[in-house]
Amino acid sequence: MTDTETQLPGPYSALVRALFSDPRHVVSGPAASGSQPEVRVAESVAGAQILLSAVTQNDVLVSLRFRVFGCPHLVAAAEWCCERYEGGPVNKMGDFDVPRLMETLGVPIEKFGRILLLEDAIRSLCSQIDSASGNQERKG
Amino acid sequence: MSDAFFANPVYLDYAATTPLDTEVAAAMSACFAAGSKFGNSSSMHLAGRRSQAAVDDARHELGLLLNVRPRDLVWTSGATESDNLAIIGAARFRAHRGRHLITMTTEHKAVLEAFDALEKEGFKVTRLAPDSEGVLSLGDLAAAIRDDSQLVSVMHVNNETGVIQDIAAIGAMCRERDVLFHTDAAQSAGKLSIDLARTPLDLLSLTAHKFYGPQGIGALYIANRPGCGVMPLFHGGGQERRLRPGTLPLHQIIGLGVAAKRARERLSADFEHVRILREKLWGGLKDLPGITRNGSADKHYPGILNVSAAGVEGESLMLALEPLCVASGSACNTQSGEPSFVLKALGCSDLEAQSAIRFSFGRESTLQDIDLAIEIYSAAVLKLQAISPEKAA
Repeated sequence: MTDTETQLPGPYSALVRALFSDPRHVVSGPAASGSQPEVRVAESVAGAQILLSAVTQNDVLVSLRFRVFGCPHLVAAAEWCCERYEGGPVNKMGDFDVPRLMETLGVPIEKFGRILLLEDAIRSLCSQIDSASGNQERKG
Repeated sequence: MSDAFFANPVYLDYAATTPLDTEVAAAMSACFAAGSKFGNSSSMHLAGRRSQAAVDDARHELGLLLNVRPRDLVWTSGATESDNLAIIGAARFRAHRGRHLITMTTEHKAVLEAFDALEKEGFKVTRLAPDSEGVLSLGDLAAAIRDDSQLVSVMHVNNETGVIQDIAAIGAMCRERDVLFHTDAAQSAGKLSIDLARTPLDLLSLTAHKFYGPQGIGALYIANRPGCGVMPLFHGGGQERRLRPGTLPLHQIIGLGVAAKRARERLSADFEHVRILREKLWGGLKDLPGITRNGSADKHYPGILNVSAAGVEGESLMLALEPLCVASGSACNTQSGEPSFVLKALGCSDLEAQSAIRFSFGRESTLQDIDLAIEIYSAAVLKLQAISPEKAA
């Protein structure tokens, strides 16, 4: 497509297209091995599925990866979150904000349910990381 | 991929519409030149008679393509209008004899919704499901025809799968039971040999833009035999034997006529061309993981190939396929996002139907286009399967 043609009316913003075409945070294999435990959560609704996988160390998200069965907006949103939160403190995921993400990516309102699925997965991941670290502390 | 590559999208959506044939474009353009034909073909003066002669020529060409009398052809705006005129018009024409009608669940919306409208007028409609290959069972049809049945409508070539129905056998059965038979030939006219002098058909819908003619013009064939006819849907003029009043669109009719002539001349060559392309495309895709071909493997028009891929979401697949211009499994209403009702009628699950892609090719498609389609589709499917949670366990 020419530059002009990428501006033609369509359902995807340039950012969605970029994130979708080159997702760099896809879960690439089986659960991580080694000393850092991996936390995985899976959510699904109306045919869409999302899986998030996190490895933490000292309250830092060493790795945040995803898998998605869903529309380009959901794929792009998952990639955007992984880019944003990987390498940062775990509690930064608490600032996940559905309206802001939808505005940033240009997600149409009819895809609201899909983005809520991602929100559910992130909340669930935070909760599981919390309980896993609590268990570690108790063991310590 | 290079900018040059993206500047040239690969068009494999000929079942949606075809590019204008260059001879068609030239003939239509000539209509707009200074001093050319422009008169209203209904006018009695010289300018009108010139236009009428051009309309007659086009009707003659379409008659040759279908092997029918030109006077049995009525111009319409396209297949949707032809379907509506045929189905609603014939049902009303024969309503005094009975009010039972038969069609298939895999018809185009233009047919299905015309029957829906007739139900609201009190007609009874039987909708027959195809088998898992998309083919209508003649036994099912025979069992469905009742004493009060007046019309059967079964499309010739399915627009999503390319499956061909045996219109000669269906027509013979209908003729024997004194039921009118209509076929939507939008996907077959100009592509498959249709000899209406030898095929017991009463009504046939077609549109020019599926065989390299202009958009916005089509025709309805109405057999000239006792008991066969339609009531007009429009009123307000005497054109087209009062069956479809309105000023005739001269340049579009001329375009359709040239397209019909070109189709008749190229029918065998075009068919062989798309047969080779489809074989090559399926050969390149069939070994992908989770791939399925939808519709009959042998009773199909080779210009269409419909495939599904397991573990792949349809909307993401469409985006990943750019710059291929193909149709998704939610066609023909691509805005809806709903899985194709045609594929679901063949037994596909929602996910299989939603991941379906319809490749359709034609006269200007090349082997290089098919190579690119194989490359892009394979990469897209493998990429999306790789990011699917199904693979994550």
